[in-house]
Amino acid sequence: MHDLLKNALLGTTALLLAGSSAASAQVGLTSNVATVALTATKAATLTVSPNASTATLASITDNSTANNFTAVSLTTAWNLTAGSSVRLVGWFATPAQALVNGTDLIPSSKVEGRVGAAAYAPFSSAAVGGVGVAGGSLQLFSQAVGSGSYFGSRTDQLDLRLNLTGTTTMAGDYTGTLNLQAVVQ
Amino acid sequence: MGCYRFGLSFLALSAILVLGARELSGQARIISLAATSAADLSLVITSGAIQTIAGVTDNAVNNFPSPVVIQTTWSVNPGQTNTVDLVAYFLLPAQALVGASTQIPSSRVLARMSSGLPTTFTPINQNAFAGVGTAGGSLRLYSAAINGSNKNSSRTDNLDLQLDLVGFPTLPAGGYTGVLNLRVITQ
Repeated sequence: MHDLLKNALLGTTALLLAGSSAASAQVGLTSNVATVALTATKAATLTVSPNASTATLASITDNSTANNFTAVSLTTAWNLTAGSSVRLVGWFATPAQALVNGTDLIPSSKVEGRVGAAAYAPFSSAAVGGVGVAGGSLQLFSQAVGSGSYFGSRTDQLDLRLNLTGTTTMAGDYTGTLNLQAVVQ
Repeated sequence: MGCYRFGLSFLALSAILVLGARELSGQARIISLAATSAADLSLVITSGAIQTIAGVTDNAVNNFPSPVVIQTTWSVNPGQTNTVDLVAYFLLPAQALVGASTQIPSSRVLARMSSGLPTTFTPINQNAFAGVGTAGGSLRLYSAAINGSNKNSSRTDNLDLQLDLVGFPTLPAGGYTGVLNLRVITQ
């Protein structure tokens, strides 16, 4: 009798333990891990921002280089993934008509520019990297870039003048548009 | 408590049966039977497992293009399971998305589950839940209470994701990649 009661107790205990084990097994049960692949791409950028859209020369002096326009500050910013240089190019769309006063024209070869301590040079060069027009362009700077400097900017003062040495102009207002564009090479 | 009552009843029944059998045959053996149906818990992404933003905008909130559709299936014992919980997490919270020189932390990745807990976009920067996830890189997406009517069930949810770059330094150009982990746990 005692043995039988003992067996009954053991069996019941076994069942209780089995149930207890099953209960604990379902707390903290985890599933497989599912994953979501995320990709975000930041496109390369290259911008040129002048601080003024107008440069003026109040009074032209013939046969002189003393014809300075008001200076323009240019900020060039780049955020790149490749390339070896950032180049800033200034250009006139129609080199023979950089500045126009009716039928009186000043060609781009008479307009000179520089940044920093560089010497003045005429806007009469070829396009650079497809930017500009033949005979109406000038590379204003070339900034080397690499893996450590693909993200950067610089600010330059652009000086412009008319070189009218040997030239007499007709009286009147001459207007034109200088285009500025940066290119990665 | 249920198990305890069952044990007592079984004990009494066993004792009675054994005592009775003794009178009839003088010999009895108890065979304890236990069969366990293993609980089941699985997670499937039915669409949106690859999320791509082609052109990230700095200092703005960028939406990932489509919802991640998540299907969870479970078969659990309601007496042993209170809830089924879905957790999203990044293994390295400081590097949720990694670029060539810059990392985007998980606090910049926001998630929303309209049918779940974060019904508005919320950063994935909370602590692990019940051991699932990482500290500072996790977010619990839903908690489903388990009862007799849904012990064998499934649910489908849409997870929306954003990249919040408001106030974040300008990103260097290039690609940023990462992996968001999703896992379900019972409680």
